Amino acid sequence: MTGWTLFYHPMTLSFNELLWMLLPLCASVAITYKTIRTGNLRRLPLEILQLSLYLLVGLAGLGAGLYIIQRLWL
Amino acid sequence: MGNGAIKSSPRALLALLLAWLAPGAGHVYLGRRARGIIIFLTIGATFWIGVAMGGVMTVDSRNEQWWFVADMFAGVHGLVSWQRQEQVWNRLLGEADAAERAGWGDPAGQQALMDKRLSEAGLALVAPTDTVARAFAGVAGLLNLMCIFDAVLLALMRVGGETPPKGPPARRQQQ
Repeated sequence: MTGWTLFYHPMTLSFNELLWMLLPLCASVAITYKTIRTGNLRRLPLEILQLSLYLLVGLAGLGAGLYIIQRLWL
Repeated sequence: MGNGAIKSSPRALLALLLAWLAPGAGHVYLGRRARGIIIFLTIGATFWIGVAMGGVMTVDSRNEQWWFVADMFAGVHGLVSWQRQEQVWNRLLGEADAAERAGWGDPAGQQALMDKRLSEAGLALVAPTDTVARAFAGVAGLLNLMCIFDAVLLALMRVGGETPPKGPPARRQQQ
């Protein structure tokens, strides 16, 4: 291996670092969904922020629930 | 059929093709330029963040067929990545010597050889990065699928440009 090249070699990321990638992924889903659904583009940033927070809270809740199930029953 | 019935039209077909090929282009074609640009930038960024994390083997047509299908909905982004992956795969395959080629009788032998070659070249995509990288690229494709549906429906409903914001029109007339 002569050197690392972006878009060619994979990055070496830890699990904790990858967990932060949830933020841009949720933002991306919220931006795309709200861009096609919103009636008024002026309200778009607020609606994106709202949906991003819903997604993150929902996923955090799901993760917490699965963690509790795994700790208590498995 | 009634007057309000939805009919297929060349406009819808063109919107479908454009929306698939270049994410957001379907919306630009239908007069929704701002939305089209936002879609183009968001889906492009999501896809290429995935490829940046996972490298050239993120789009893998041989071992990750379901992710590959999702990637292909990203249009030009998916096609370019697939082309790059094929180039690298064929180059590594071409570097195999005669002894290695002798063991190519079954696909599993060829796969084992390629796994070894990819690992040696530092291109093997392994856990936990593989799932996240492929999720980014695949989600970008699936988000574009949603945009394709939207563009086609808008074309079929003959909606062009931005719909005016809802408000009391009577008040505007009084002013």
